[in-house]
Amino acid sequence: MSTAGLSIPFKAEFDVNSQEFSLSGVVRPRSINEIAGNISMLKAAIDQVRGVLYINVKRLVQMNNTAFHAFARVVLDACQARPDIRFVIVTSSVVGWTTRMFGHLNKIEPQITIEVYDSKFYPGQSFVENTSFIPILRTQTKMTWRHERTILPRHGMRSGITMADICCGIGDFVVLVQKEFQPARIVALDHSKASLAYARDVAAGFGITDIEYTYGDASEMLLEGNQFDFVSCRHSLQIFNQPDALLAELYRICKPGGRVYVTNEKNSHCLGEPRSQSIQWTYNEVAKLFSHFEMDVELGPKSRRYLTDAGFEDIVVESFMVTNLDGDAQDFADVIAAWEDVYAGEMSVKRGDSPEFIQRFRQGFQDHIFAALHPKGYAGWPIWVASGRKPR
Amino acid sequence: MDVAEKAPAEATFEPLLQIEMEMGTFLSNWHHCDQLSTFIARIISHNRTDPVRHSNFFSSALNELLEVSFRGGSPDGQIGCAVYRHGRTERVKLTFPCLSRQRQFFSEAVSNTRREDALARYLDSISTGLTPSRDVVLLDLAINFDAQIRLENSAPPSITLVVDLPLEGIVS
Repeated sequence: MSTAGLSIPFKAEFDVNSQEFSLSGVVRPRSINEIAGNISMLKAAIDQVRGVLYINVKRLVQMNNTAFHAFARVVLDACQARPDIRFVIVTSSVVGWTTRMFGHLNKIEPQITIEVYDSKFYPGQSFVENTSFIPILRTQTKMTWRHERTILPRHGMRSGITMADICCGIGDFVVLVQKEFQPARIVALDHSKASLAYARDVAAGFGITDIEYTYGDASEMLLEGNQFDFVSCRHSLQIFNQPDALLAELYRICKPGGRVYVTNEKNSHCLGEPRSQSIQWTYNEVAKLFSHFEMDVELGPKSRRYLTDAGFEDIVVESFMVTNLDGDAQDFADVIAAWEDVYAGEMSVKRGDSPEFIQRFRQGFQDHIFAALHPKGYAGWPIWVASGRKPR
Repeated sequence: MDVAEKAPAEATFEPLLQIEMEMGTFLSNWHHCDQLSTFIARIISHNRTDPVRHSNFFSSALNELLEVSFRGGSPDGQIGCAVYRHGRTERVKLTFPCLSRQRQFFSEAVSNTRREDALARYLDSISTGLTPSRDVVLLDLAINFDAQIRLENSAPPSITLVVDLPLEGIVS
């Protein structure tokens, strides 16, 4: 039996500026001597900090009792020696056992508190994981699938491969991929439990049982490295405030020689006729609004740079335009109406925009809908597709 | 108190997987615990609701059991690990050879997991011990993984730990 490479390497780091001691990966030592250096690092960190020491274990994939007791011992001793500092242990809801295990330390020493790093992974998360968005996500996928179905093979999609869809949302994309291309294995990850529950229901409804839906943080995944031939991440780099960190994770889980496939928008390029000027003004404002919440919905054409900087080769970039002429114009209109609800009805309000601004902002969406449904009208939503190969 | 006992009347657990290995081979490398637990967890979790997270949880628990057998086992004979499933629970049966005094130790350790003061004992161990005892490892499984642990009669010099892990309910 060979399991070489399955485990994620263990790493301990201390960042003095943020007063954060981080443990990540798999640590299962036979004796504490094997982690003596890490224990010394923690002791040195405690000596340096004032106020609060954050102990970040959200990316700690495995830790045996030997290691847990050794690290816990240091922190508990420090509580006695340094009553002036607090310890905040940051766990992840994804790795549930860490919250249970480290949670006991608070029962022993109140100076130690546990924070489950469950929300605010990125500033726009509350908007993106809003369950009221689910029906419209299905319509969006239906509209983009008409294009991606023929585009995907040019980016490495084929039958028999192992694939992961990261930030899978409601999972409809992988259901379509499964039916069209029959990959051998599909893992679909998202951080919205509501979306995943919906995804499992949809898959069950289609009689599909072999998609592995999993709850996780895309920027810090439990998935082992170098295991997928094809990794997709659609419309998601643009809503993370650190797209490069997410891309690094996609790179990590991709096999050498495999490809990472990303799709993103450039919202200011949404267009329509008639009433083009109103439409253009509103979508320029959409880009600014997202930027306010640290999301870059102009990322599409920047994909090539991001993929290059992440170390990919053989980068392929293309774009397509979803339009009101693709299929059902009402679908297009419904999507725009949903955007108006979230962007003007929630995000703009949260930014503190004036009623006058919001009214003008809404008008552009309504004009886009008007263009989509007009018998002589044309409405478009451009999307950039990019993929890169991980070097062998 | 002899905690080796017959399984109570219960629902049928379906076999999922069974691995046997010469104990001497197992003891030759500490990393066998990590490798076996990762490998077995991956296989048995594939059709759970969230396979990745179930596998992570299960691997944690199984690794501790394998480490217990690594530290407390003797080299003659075989180690056997079988996994069964009923509903939302996986059952691990871990059989390995050990010395007679170790049998007594395990008997007491298992009974401690059922005592009312199990949590207090566990917390006391964390706050006082530099390294965990095997006794505490079983408490950890009972407290952090909601494990039900018992001993099953097996022919000396072997011992069989039976551990029920209701992880599907914790993970999903």
